[in-house]
Amino acid sequence: MKLTKFQLYSVLLILVAPVAYLETPHVLIHTLYANSWLAVLAATIPGLLLIQMYYYIIQKSTQPFPLMLDEHLGKTLGRIVGAFYIPFFILVCSYTLRLFIEFMKMNVLPATPISVFIGVLLLVGFVAIKTGLPNIARVLEPTVLVGLSFSIIILLIALFNNFHLDRILPIGYMNYKSFGEATLITTFVLGKMMPVLSLAFFLDNKRNSQPLMRYVLLTFIPLITLTTMTIIITRGILPALSLTFPLFSTIRLARIGAFIQNLDIFFVAIWILGIFGAVTIPWFMTCYVTQQVFNLRDYRFVAAPTSILIGFLSILISRNNLEILIWSHTLIPLVYDLFFIVIPFVLFVIVLFKPYPLTNSTEPAHKVEPPPA
Amino acid sequence: MRYLNSKKDPVQTQPPAELVKEQLSPHIQENIDMLSGVLQGCSDVVIKEFKFGESHIRGLMIFMDGLTDRKEVENNLLKPLLLELNMQKRDSELEGGEVLNIIKENILPLADLKVLETMQELCHHLTSGDTVFLIDGSANGLVAGTRSWQGRPVQSPENEIVVFGPKEGFTETLRFNTALLRRRIKSTTLKIESMVIGRISKTDVVVCYIDSIAPPQLVEEVKKRLGKIDIDAVLDTGYLAELIADNKWTIFTQTEHTEKPDRVCGQLLEGKVCIMVDGSPMALVVPISFPEYMISPEDYYIHFIPASLFRMLRFIAFFLALLAPSLYVAVITYHHEMIPTPLLLTIAATRQGVPFPAFVEALLLDATFELLREAGLRLPRAVGPAVSIVGALIIGDAAVRAGLVSTPMVVIVAFTGIASFVNPSYNAGIIIRIARFGFLFAAGMLGFLGIIIGLILMALRMASLSSFGLPYLSPLAPFNLSYMGDIVVRRPWFASRKRPYMEGMKDEIRQSFENHDGSKKT
Repeated sequence: MKLTKFQLYSVLLILVAPVAYLETPHVLIHTLYANSWLAVLAATIPGLLLIQMYYYIIQKSTQPFPLMLDEHLGKTLGRIVGAFYIPFFILVCSYTLRLFIEFMKMNVLPATPISVFIGVLLLVGFVAIKTGLPNIARVLEPTVLVGLSFSIIILLIALFNNFHLDRILPIGYMNYKSFGEATLITTFVLGKMMPVLSLAFFLDNKRNSQPLMRYVLLTFIPLITLTTMTIIITRGILPALSLTFPLFSTIRLARIGAFIQNLDIFFVAIWILGIFGAVTIPWFMTCYVTQQVFNLRDYRFVAAPTSILIGFLSILISRNNLEILIWSHTLIPLVYDLFFIVIPFVLFVIVLFKPYPLTNSTEPAHKVEPPPA
Repeated sequence: MRYLNSKKDPVQTQPPAELVKEQLSPHIQENIDMLSGVLQGCSDVVIKEFKFGESHIRGLMIFMDGLTDRKEVENNLLKPLLLELNMQKRDSELEGGEVLNIIKENILPLADLKVLETMQELCHHLTSGDTVFLIDGSANGLVAGTRSWQGRPVQSPENEIVVFGPKEGFTETLRFNTALLRRRIKSTTLKIESMVIGRISKTDVVVCYIDSIAPPQLVEEVKKRLGKIDIDAVLDTGYLAELIADNKWTIFTQTEHTEKPDRVCGQLLEGKVCIMVDGSPMALVVPISFPEYMISPEDYYIHFIPASLFRMLRFIAFFLALLAPSLYVAVITYHHEMIPTPLLLTIAATRQGVPFPAFVEALLLDATFELLREAGLRLPRAVGPAVSIVGALIIGDAAVRAGLVSTPMVVIVAFTGIASFVNPSYNAGIIIRIARFGFLFAAGMLGFLGIIIGLILMALRMASLSSFGLPYLSPLAPFNLSYMGDIVVRRPWFASRKRPYMEGMKDEIRQSFENHDGSKKT
């Protein structure tokens, strides 16, 4: 399995952006109101620190996650911690899937049973995993190119259709506690880049993972800032607070001329592409971690049994949309932070006291190449 | 089930008599006996026995009627043979082997003369249109290249019409086709390696590539895959396209078919390999990626700005041809809110009284369109276009008047049909036609969600394919920005310093950039 640099960039961006695109501005507006876009900008610094932490772990490890857990925590503890990541990644898939389905049911196809959505998306994910990670990455490349450009265009159209700049102005009335909280919320979203601990090892040179993660950050921050600003500028704070998916409502207001209207369906189309990646990559991680923890020959055949688990869990995870929203504010951030940030942080502290591993050429892996003369 | 699980040994068939690698005999009677067995039932074989010299040495001339130039045989072979052989030496001094040498070196005024030793060689040359001589006393035969048959002259291709650029197309005669390539690339680096495929048909196949550009591993792989083919006959390049494909169970073809020599030359200059088959006017080019199907050779003969615009138009037309009916069905069935109210009212008014849902309506009309298109292709040329146009007009009008379909649907299907003709590749057209029905079903079931799911599945399938190691979606996936510059748009010649990237290519530089004063551009 080999990934190109652009493929890893696409995979990481798909991990952090699509769900955040719909969910994060909503959560931020609830936390920091009109200043929430500032929190996204402020998340750049902790985001960079997070990236540095992941990169440091990668540099000090000779094997990809979860095998690096064996390397740093010892075989027994490493396997136990690795095994806990299997249900975690299943939870990530199920939650993302259910969030998407709730959105589709509310806004696009209300009459369609959720089992149909689940079945269709699981089928696509299953086919994707069966064809392998390089194929998934190849499909995500055009997805990112098309998705990113169209998302920004649609946002700009929506923004200039209902432009009230005064709605983002009360910067002076800043609640610093909420600001810190909102910054952390955004930073935690960036923690979804954690699969880079495995994926970086599929690059020709794992050192390239650091600039790639930074590029992802540089894409994510402006995108979410623009999204949050667009919601506030076009809808205002109070309507945005009362809406379940304020971004969707914002885009629904957009028109081109007096003829082209309801662009939301294009947004939905693009978003489905993103969700495909956001479900498939954690699903791949489920299969990959299972393979590594249990010393299986291939990860692909794990796709079939896990598809059943993901399908059932996404149905059982909540009874309605309200429960999903409550989960997204309470339990989900805690679980995500534990597995995406806290455990890697513990790993980071452990590797801090370890020497750099030697590469095949007996050079330290962290050695910087001298610039060409 | 017995057909599915049959594990019987392959049927042990006797090899055809002509495959026997038997040495020719120095006794002509034995050769005649052998030949009469092998050529039994071949009424087009002409066997002329002659005797020369005082001791009446027996000779045999054999050729296939219809494949051989009779005038050349009579004037340049038979006449000199009978008249001049007697003058070379006294017949008492002549021996069979010596006679053959004299004929070869002194008598026959032909450039293409070869000695053959086995019956298998004899049969191969004979069925290829050459003339074979056997002389009593010699264990060898002599073969003279006299191939000539009635063939289609070089004409403009029927399926790849261009406004600008060369109008020549390949014919069914392999040698004409290789000459068309050689005429355009006058270099000894253009290699044309021949091989014979087909146990019975013994079809001549050539592999063409430019030695100084093409990746050696690609050339080797092509030859290896062709060499592995063990089939009774190859009647067209289509056989080979299927047999040498990387992935066989897919509608996405992994070879490019073309009948334009200029297109093949363009591809050869990009390091690709061309395969041609005797009897087929189509050349195969490998490797190919799907986005390359949108390229027309004409793009490189006109200015790069209109060429780029046309190419972008083709990409748009590709998506329209693929998705237009399914998008219409999705919007009409699930997402009405997208349509502005006045337009929605107009559509609703036209759909009033139509007994079918939009999905069935689209399916029926699209299937009818495909029927008419297929009928137009198969009908005699004089009536084909008239029948398809009249059919489309009458059936469309009658269906609308009868209230079976709505007018917007007729417009959509007609528009889709026109968009599908924009694509320069017939192979890509077939893919679009098949996939369009799949998208129609998906849109009918799940609206936009279905279409996107269909697109993801299609992208996944395409991403998993490769053509001789070249990823099928390249340069889109894996993404290669510099190569994309010559796919979505046509890169200007003055900016095309390098050839499109291909792994292992020997020479990537297409042109050197020099200023008017001779200094190199940076």
